[in-house]
Amino acid sequence: MSFAFHRPGSLDAAIAVASEHGEAARFLAGGTDLMIQINRGRAAPKHLISLAGLGLDTIGESEGEHVIGALATLDAVVTHPAFQTGLVALTQASAVVGGRQVRNIATVGGNIVNASPAADLVPVLLALEATVDLRGPAGTRSMPLDRFLVGRGRTERRPDEILTAVRFDKPPAASATWFLKAGRRKAMEISVICVAAHLVRGGKARIAIGAAAARTVRVPAAEALAEKEGAAAFREAGRIAADAVSPIDDVRASARYRKLLVATLVERALAACADRLGKDGR
Amino acid sequence: MTRQPLALTINGEIHDVMIEPHWSLLHVLRHELGLTGTKENCLEAECGVCTVLLDGKAVNSCILLAEQARGRSIVTIEGLGDPEHLHPLQAAFIEHGAVQCGYCIPGMILSAKSFLDERPGRVPSEAEVREALSGTLCRCTGYQKIVDAVIAAARQMSARPEAARRAP
Ligand SMILES: Cc1cc2nc3c(=O)[nH]c(=O)nc-3n(C[C@H](O)[C@H](O)[C@H](O)COP(=O)(O)OP(=O)(O)OC[C@H]3O[C@@H](n4cnc5c(N)ncnc54)[C@H](O)[C@@H]3O)c2cc1C
Repeated sequence: MSFAFHRPGSLDAAIAVASEHGEAARFLAGGTDLMIQINRGRAAPKHLISLAGLGLDTIGESEGEHVIGALATLDAVVTHPAFQTGLVALTQASAVVGGRQVRNIATVGGNIVNASPAADLVPVLLALEATVDLRGPAGTRSMPLDRFLVGRGRTERRPDEILTAVRFDKPPAASATWFLKAGRRKAMEISVICVAAHLVRGGKARIAIGAAAARTVRVPAAEALAEKEGAAAFREAGRIAADAVSPIDDVRASARYRKLLVATLVERALAACADRLGKDGR
Repeated sequence: MTRQPLALTINGEIHDVMIEPHWSLLHVLRHELGLTGTKENCLEAECGVCTVLLDGKAVNSCILLAEQARGRSIVTIEGLGDPEHLHPLQAAFIEHGAVQCGYCIPGMILSAKSFLDERPGRVPSEAEVREALSGTLCRCTGYQKIVDAVIAAARQMSARPEAARRAP
């Protein structure tokens, strides 16, 4: 097992190396997923292209939007001042990825491109209706994250495209987000189910669920119900969400248990959003 | 593969090594530089015995390529103190009997240092310490004495910050 290590000095240089080597090359962000795949023999790239030092790690804001650079670490999300109140779900999700040693290295972009159905940050970004920015040999393009995700480990990204950033509209003041994860223990555990909810006062709800299908999904039918707000609507939204997903049996949990978790966690996440809206007097 | 030169800054000193591109930082520390204080176990970032500090933050050296440490500053347990000048965390671990077989302790101490250094002057709660150490497993102690030691060290460090600052 070995590979050539490239440390390009610019995004265009990185893309050029990727274009030259096609499927034999992989971009390296934190490597917390890729290195394990390589060590287990599941990936055998001949070229690793480092994305470090290319200015992709900033978290910022621009006209009405939050923009998270693909190389921002999960630790940087956890501690970011803009994500501690209305957008707290970003912090909640990032804070339960692995242990601190993993979060100090693992990136937001890696969590997305990996396209694991259990990726913890992805449901939050889907609930925020995030857009991803891609840069390749032909320039840049953007698309909704919902379209970018294709299936387990599969995205719309071409092998020589770099995910540069993920962005989403700043939510209105009277809105809240919440993230809940169920694993077999509290820490250092891949999600058995994870759920993100985004509630805007006055009739908008977004719900996304991880580890319940081949990719992280939104559940529009449950969202429509949740928009009515109130305990009964939230319970019913949970039930509809559980019907809408198609989890599998695996070593971590049975499909049936996962559906029960979806119903409960969706209801609780919505109630938590409503609770926050009430508490903040918004 | 032909080896390539890499200058690594470890415990404040520059080490010039010839590496193969797929070598982990852990491999270089232990097998090229003889810095065996950093331990090797699961090699999948699950257990934390290989924890070192990269620009002050705890990371798993087993899945970090040595190349990823180029131009950055690494601290291993060898850089933390010596028998005459123990770091407050090391002193507290001894005092509280927090060490049994010892294999996880370098990673445990560096995980704790990274955590405490992020919040200078604050004494964390027991729950915060347990969460902060959740990526570092100990199979002997049951953790209680480790958690007690970290809290005691935090008290010491917030009362006498210079003792902690002397070590890197
Ligand atoms: C012990 C452990 C526990 C973990 N626990 C969790 C968990 O609880 N929840 C969770 O969601 N994940 C978990 N993970 C998985 C992983 O840490 C995260 O998915 C992480 O966010 C991946 O980011 P990275 O920067 O390390 O990605 P990398 O490993 O660097 O990259 C992952 C993939 O994405 C590609 N890639 C990365 N960035 C880009 C980019 N900008 N443009 C194009 N391609 C790119 C790479 O080529 C590679 O194929 C865990 C991993 C470990 C080792």
